This record gives sequence, C-alpha cells and structure tokens, in this order.
Amino acid sequence: MTTGDNNQQVVRAVGPAEAVTGVQLMQGIGHQPAQGFWTEAWARVVRRPGALLGLCWLAIVVFFAVFAPFIASGHPILLWELGPDGSVQRVHSPMFDHLGPTDALLALGAVAWGAALLLPLPAPRSKRLGVLFVCSLQAALIVAACAGVRAAFQSADAPDWMRSMRADASFRWVCTGVVMLLVSLPVLFIPFLEALVSRLLPVACAALVAGLSVLLTWHDPIPSFTYRAREARGEIRTLHTLIPYSPGQGSTSLDLQPPRSTPMSAIIDGLAQDLARELGVGGFQDDPRWQVRTRPTDPLLGETPLTEGLAASLGVHLRTNAALLPRSPAELLAEFESRRDRGEFQSARDVLTWLESLGRAKFWLGTDSIGQDVLSQMLHACRLSISIGLVSTGIAVLIGVTMGALMGYFGGWVDMLLYRVVEVFMAIPVLFLLIVAAAVLPRNTYVMMVIIGCVSWTGAARFIRAEFYKLRGQDFVQSARAVGLPLRSILFKHMLPNGVTPVLVDASFAIAAAILAEAILSFLGLGPANQASWGRLLSDANNQVGDFVPWLALFPGAAIFFTVLAYNLIGEALRDAIDPKLKKARV
Amino acid sequence: MTTYILRRLLLMVPTVIGMTLLVFLLVAASPGGIGAALTVAAGGQMDSSTRAAQQAYLEDRYGLDDPVLLQYLRWLARVSPIKFGTRDQVVPGGEVVRPPKSVKPMPAWWLYIDELPRAERESFAFDPNTTAEDKTRAYRRASNDYARARFAYLRAKTEFELALGERLREAGRGSLVKDDGTLRDFSQRSVPRGSVPGADDEQVVERFAAMREAYQAAQQSLARLEAVFAARPFPQAGFGISGVVWVAAPDLGMSFSRSRPVSALIRDALPVTLMLNLLAFPIIYAVAIPTGMLAATRQGSWFDVFSGAFFVALWSVPVVWAGVLAMGYLANQVTGLGAFPVAGLHSNDAANYTFLPTRLDSGVWQRGYLLDTLWHVALPVACLVYGGFAVLSKQTRAAMLDNFNADYVRTAKAKGVSGKDIVLRHVFRNSLLPLITMFVSVFPAMLGGSVVVERIFSVPGMGSLIIEAIFLRDREVLLANALIVGLINMLALLLADILYALADPRISYN
Repeated sequence: MTTGDNNQQVVRAVGPAEAVTGVQLMQGIGHQPAQGFWTEAWARVVRRPGALLGLCWLAIVVFFAVFAPFIASGHPILLWELGPDGSVQRVHSPMFDHLGPTDALLALGAVAWGAALLLPLPAPRSKRLGVLFVCSLQAALIVAACAGVRAAFQSADAPDWMRSMRADASFRWVCTGVVMLLVSLPVLFIPFLEALVSRLLPVACAALVAGLSVLLTWHDPIPSFTYRAREARGEIRTLHTLIPYSPGQGSTSLDLQPPRSTPMSAIIDGLAQDLARELGVGGFQDDPRWQVRTRPTDPLLGETPLTEGLAASLGVHLRTNAALLPRSPAELLAEFESRRDRGEFQSARDVLTWLESLGRAKFWLGTDSIGQDVLSQMLHACRLSISIGLVSTGIAVLIGVTMGALMGYFGGWVDMLLYRVVEVFMAIPVLFLLIVAAAVLPRNTYVMMVIIGCVSWTGAARFIRAEFYKLRGQDFVQSARAVGLPLRSILFKHMLPNGVTPVLVDASFAIAAAILAEAILSFLGLGPANQASWGRLLSDANNQVGDFVPWLALFPGAAIFFTVLAYNLIGEALRDAIDPKLKKARV
Repeated sequence: MTTYILRRLLLMVPTVIGMTLLVFLLVAASPGGIGAALTVAAGGQMDSSTRAAQQAYLEDRYGLDDPVLLQYLRWLARVSPIKFGTRDQVVPGGEVVRPPKSVKPMPAWWLYIDELPRAERESFAFDPNTTAEDKTRAYRRASNDYARARFAYLRAKTEFELALGERLREAGRGSLVKDDGTLRDFSQRSVPRGSVPGADDEQVVERFAAMREAYQAAQQSLARLEAVFAARPFPQAGFGISGVVWVAAPDLGMSFSRSRPVSALIRDALPVTLMLNLLAFPIIYAVAIPTGMLAATRQGSWFDVFSGAFFVALWSVPVVWAGVLAMGYLANQVTGLGAFPVAGLHSNDAANYTFLPTRLDSGVWQRGYLLDTLWHVALPVACLVYGGFAVLSKQTRAAMLDNFNADYVRTAKAKGVSGKDIVLRHVFRNSLLPLITMFVSVFPAMLGGSVVVERIFSVPGMGSLIIEAIFLRDREVLLANALIVGLINMLALLLADILYALADPRISYN
C-alpha cells in the first residue's frame, strides 16, 4: 500500500470536512486517540440502522423478561379486605406473595445493574460491567443449582431420606444457610476491593438478600384466582396490574376467544349459540363457520326480539360462569330485569351489547385453547426465549472452545480422537438429535438449555481448532511453553484471546439458532412443561380438527421472528465490523 | 485421491458407531427406557400376574431385559455388513430368519435342584425331494411350537417369581424383588439353598415344579427348532468368507410399533424426504446465485442492500411459523384460500391417474400423477427453500467481490475483455468453490428441517417416521433412522470434499 492510500484512509476516518495532508499527519494533526478493539467494533455496529433496531427490540424483550410478573399477573398488586360493614380490615399484596425466587432475583438484579452502571461511582464503567457480569453469572448458577435440588426433592420418586428431610422443620433454615454460604463464598475472592472490611459489606448484603429471598418464597402458595368472585361478593377490593392475567390462569369456557374480547365473551357466546339454535340457523356445532356466524354482531341474530327463553338462558349462563363476572349473577339479573322493564332491550342485540359493555380486563391478543390469556403468556415467555438463547450458547461456546483448544494445540492423536466426536455431532442433523434428546429427557427449562448447548458446540470447536493450529507455531506460544507455564495458562490466557473473536461474532447467530430450536421443540410439544413459550402458543394455532386460529399464529410467530431477526442483524453488523477483509475493501 | 476417499470411508465406521451409540444411550436413559410405550400399551386392565407375564413376553421377544450395552452390541452385529457366527437364512419374501434364541435359565433353581435340566440333542434332515413349501411349513411348525412353549415357560416363570418374591419379602429380603413383584438377578452365592425360610412352602414348590416342566418342554422344542434350522429350510443370507465369518446386507430389524421390517418403512419414507430436498436444492441455487452475482456487480446499490436485507429477514422466519401460516392462509378450506392440499403426498384417487395431465372422456382435465404430487409438495418445499437463500447469496456475493479485487481481473480489464465476460467467464468460475462448500452446511440443516416441515404438512417422510418412533421409543426405527440420516449426511460431506478437489486443481488431499 502506498502512502497516498494511507492518507486517504485517514481522511475518511476524520471526515470529509477537514483535509489533512501527509505532512500534517506526520505532525500529529488529525490524530485520534486509539480505542479498544471491541469498543471500536461496537461503535461500528451501532451505526447500522438494522442492528440498532435489533438492539431496541432485544431491549424490549429483556425488559419484559425481567418485569413480566409485575406487568401481567392474575394476582392483584394491592388487595383490601373488607369487613361486613365495608370497612378496610387488612391490606396486602397477593402479587408479591406469589413472586417466585427467580422473579424477585431478576427484578433486584435489574435494579442493581441500573444503579451500578448509571450512578457516578469511582470505579471505571468497564470494570463495573465486569463485576456485574461475574455476579450475575454466579447468581444464575446458584439459581440453576437450587432449581435442580428443588426438582429432585419434589419429584414423585424421591428416595425416603429426601422425603424425611423435606418434612423436617429445620430444613428450611438449613437451605437458607447453604444458599447464603454459596452466595458469600465466591464473593470473598473477588479481587476488586482490597480491604477485608470493605469486602464484607457487599458480601453481607448479597447473602442477606439471597437468604431472605429463600425464606420469604419458601412456601409456594397454590395459585387460585378467586379474586373476581370475591370482589363480586363484596368481600375485597383489588388493584390489578396492567394485564390482569397470569399465564397459567385459564378457564375452559373462555377457549380461543379472539383478540380484544373480555371474560364476558363466554356468556355472550353461549347466549348467541342458544339464540342461533332457537332460530334454526345453527348447524353442526364443531363447524367453525357456524361459530363465526353466531358472533353478536351477526345481522341474523341482531333483530331477533327478546324472548322469555333468552332471558332464562341468560340466567343459566350467568350462574354457570359466576367466577368470570364482575358482579354477582343475582345483581346482574336484577339489572337486566330493571333495564328490560325500562324498555332498553328491544332486541337480542341490545342484550348482547349490554353484556359486552360489562366486560373489563380485555384479552388484548385473545386466548389459547385452554382459555389462557395470550398476551400474558407472550410476556412471560420472553424470559424463556432470552435465557435459552444466552445460556445454551454459553454452554456451546464453553464446550466448543475447550474441545477446539485441545484439538488445535495438541494435534496428532488427541485431534484424531476428539475430531471423531465432533464428526459424530456433525453427522446427525442438530434438529434430529435435539428432538431425540428433548423427547426422552425431563421436560425442564434447564435440561433444555443443556441439551441445546451440548448439541450445537461443533461450530465453535472447529473455529477454535483452526485458529489454534495457526497459533501454536508462533513465537509467543513457544516462549510461553519454554517458560514452563501450565497448559491451562498457555491455552486460555495466551492463545485464546488471539483466536476467540470469530467465535464470539458467530455467537450472535448461535443465539438466534438456539431460540429457533426452542421454538421448534415447543412447537412439537417437547418444550419445558408448565412454562409459557412462544413455540407452544404457535403449536395451538393449527389444532387437530383442522381449525386455524389466526391470533395464535400471528403474534407468537412474529415475536419469535423479530427476536431471531434482531440477533441475526446484530450478528451481521458485528461480523462486518470485525471482518478485516471488508475494512480493506472499503478503502 | 483414492487413498483419501478410502481413509474417509473407513473413518466413517467409528463415527457411525459413536452416532448410533449416542442416540441409543439417550433413549435408554429416558424414564421407562427403551420400549416404554410398548409395555404401557400392553398393560391395560389385566390382573397383575397376566400383566407381568405379558411384559416378560415382550421383554423377551425384543431383548429388552438384557443390559443396555448388550442390546446395542446385538443391534450393531445385525447391522454390520460383516457378521460372525451361524449364518442367517432368508425367506423368499425377504424376511430374515435368525438362529433361534436360547431359553433364559430358571431363576433360583439352586434352591430346589442340583443342576439345570438339559434337553437331548435332536437330529433332523430334509428329504432331498422336499419342496420349498414343505420346508417352510416344517420350519414354521417347529418355530410356532417353540414360541408357544417359550411363552408357557415365561408365564410359569413369572408366577413362580411372584410367589417366591412374596416369601423373600416376608423373610426381609425385599431388596431382591422388583416393584412389580418379579425377582431381580441374584446369584447362588448371595442366596444359597436353605436361606429363604418360605421357599419350601407348598405353593412355591408347586409353582417351581410347573416352571421346571415348562422349562424342559421349552428346551426340548428349542432343540427341535435348532435342528430344523441347521437343516437349512431356506437359502442362506449373504455369502460366507471363511468358517464363521460371512457378509450380508444390514438387517435393520422389525419395528416394535408397526410390526413391519424397518427397512420396508424406510424404503417408503426415504424417497419422500429425498424428493423434498432434491426439489428444494435447485430452487435455492437458481435464486440465490444470480441474486448474489447481481448484488456483487452492483455493490452498494439499492438492489444489493435490499436483497441482502430481504434474505436475512427470510432466513429469520421460523420454519414452524411459515408452515403454520401457509397451512392457515393457503391450504385451509375455511379460513384460507384452500388452494393447496392440507396433508399427504397424493390425492385419494391418485392411483388411477395417468402420469401426465390428460383430458378425460368427459372433457374434464385431470391433473395427472406428476402434477398432483408437485401440487402436494409445493408448500413443504417452499418452507424448506426460503431459509437457504440468505447464506448462499451472501456467500456468492462475498466470493465474487474477493475475485473482483484479484490481479487477473485487472489484467482482463486492461486487455479489454467485456464486463459480461469478466463476470461470467472469469470471476464466477473462480467463485464457484465456496458454493460447493455451502452444500456442506446447507444439507444437514435441510435434512433436519424437513423433520419439522413433514410434521406440519403431514408428509409421510423420514421426519414423520422419526417423530413417531421417538414418541413410541421404537428402538429399531430410531437407530435405523439415525444410521441412514447420518450416512447420507456424511456421504454428502465427502462428496462435497471430492468436488472441491475436482473443481480446484490447487487442492489435493495427498
């Protein structure tokens, strides 16, 4: 490359406004302070509009992943218990009572992240970021370990010693102690604070938080969503969250309600069907066309005069669905009578419209086949999607880097043997192995993360192997070996930072692939049990009878699509930002 | 080159073993283990002793009561083209007849007798004039006798085990008894004669006598069957090399769930999957390569940016979503257009169609077998295709751009070669290499992807077969599928490497 080329390059970097000659350049004019490799790459990524949009979408998903239990919950934020005379007896928050340890920990962690990054602390931001990462990793490991232990203790075929331990009253305190110990042990070794006393403070705080979260969430209250009925009876007053439904809260009489319907739809549907039967327009009940026709807006139903039969069947429907009503059935029937006497109800449509106006708490995106709110499930599923992507890719990179490093560094027999393992995993299509593993192993989020991670590590292993092949002959590796450094140090401290870049860039695509894998497995009915998931919602869209439910296909599918697209766009941008060839081509 | 190919082929052997072992261990580690669905289906509403007998029969029939590793080795021995031991025989219909399985020894026999009863050897020879049908009949009779005697023995054995198990539990040795009341394996040393107080009860002794009788009968009919088998009622499978070593086509066994030979199942399913994939490949290449070339020649233009973004978006569309939407909006009769079939590979009356479209006597056009099949696979193939565009076109574009910067292009330009010729005759030809390697990364993904696509569109291919086999824990089908899919995959990779060397003389594997 000639000097002229060099000049041009710098001029572009500075910007077209100021022209810099080669002489000036040598004098130091137009010089910019050097940035770190990743900082520079990141700046280039953020400049791309696609990647920026992707980051925004991911930020939204992460927000809901953390705060979904506070936004979409069937338990009221505040509950006033009323006495017989209407005076307030007690105020408490069922939503907080029903928070799981993970919910609480995630919310606390998000606040801690925000505080540590935004507050003006003395330590540089990059260092704070590192500490936060380590702490989060540790917390995640402890949570996963606790979940595993808990599942073992709660499983139906637990051995007798586990059962007797569980029944023991002191078990709760032992567990709290163990968790506090686990939390505090590694923190003691963090080198960023020198004095023991100043270390003790954060350690004590972390242990206290962990202990309290174990103690307070020890008893899983069995969720029962009777608030509406109790409110209708006048026993309580409630303040609900923005979306007043939990993902697992469903009623079979509300199955497959379209978007923007309310719990009243169950009654309206029943009434409309009775009407249709009376009019003789109804056909075979399973025919979806028929159900479409009996919507209250149907012109056929509208102008029917109000009959005694309809009034009677309204009473029946109100009583059978009492739990869904905003007021007690008797009260509603009384109102119906009074309105009819006032002459407000001329036709059946007036009744249906009145019923529709009673409904609060809309299902903004409809309900699924067992009557659970889709929007609430979608928000809660953000956590699964984000965590599956990150954790399983983390596992894959960890395995891949270790295997690749060993193969590339040693070569020969080690390479030959380990490469057979790589080949085994390459020969079976990843999806095939995933399906087999997911079908036969327990249906559990953590197991699924491990499965996806253990199946998709070959790419990283082959990258690292090729890099290490090149690196192992270089002088710095030879000298590290000559000095007598341990193998661990040579491989991971000296060689890895020089070869890991392509793997980290590809991790973005790997995350996208992991999210796709989770969606596919959940779609096939092999996903984690008792867990809201976009793929599981999608699998409800085409049911066995051959009906198609558009809102179950469009919204969850779009969520998967946008998340995968976001990761792919970021990956593309990152790859372009780091690819040295492209940098040269732009000059 | 030949050495290289041979070496690769040989290295496939450990890979195939590792691969199938992995799948096998996964299935074996699952709750309920191999054949769980089978025994559940057999359960039902029988009383406990009948159920235990039924389970014992099924376990015996499929070898499920053997250690996991032994089951795998047995499968491997059947699949391996080089085999050892007595040669199998082949019924003219294609069914493989293996030497008869021996009878399991009686449990805890040492509590009652000094040594296991043995059967007398039998000799049997066919008259040279016996017809093939008579030979078959003789073999079938012997084998049915043996199956019946064996089942009677298993039943008697289960009843004895239940009785002795109860006594063992009473004697405080419940650890020797399984949950269902039958016995675990234990040796003469751990439970010597006289150590079980209730073992001399009248009922137990009576049941032992019944079991012993059934055992002797089973032994005797086994000896008979062995003798008939040794007389070779059917032609032998494969061909012998020397002594006990012989070569034959792999035997994939019988499916648990469908009671059909696995090879027949795969023969039906594999062409469907291959057809889907082979239809999809040319489409991907035909769309992606010209797009990539155009994008490279007009680098930075709106076409370049737009096609890149569009393909990345397509690549990100989950195949399950595309499938569900296509089903709902294009295939569904009620909510969608109803323009495509909802399931299957052929119309109901496709067997009567002519191959090409014809005009019937009634004057109506009939679409014919070919068009009918294409119409049925249109949506599945579309779902397989769209994801492949992004990777391939991006690769083409990058390879072309690389070559545009090369010296020989500058020389060609200087010589005055026209732009079209530079792109097509020089740059494109040299950019072909990465396109071959693309095959490597696209093919396995597509084989996997067709599992899902076939499931959504109810296409009876390998994917449907695999998913059904997994849910039923059908050991033979699962292993055979892993074997076939893995082999196809590895052969495709090998082919790509060979093509790579053929396309670029600079590459040699020696």
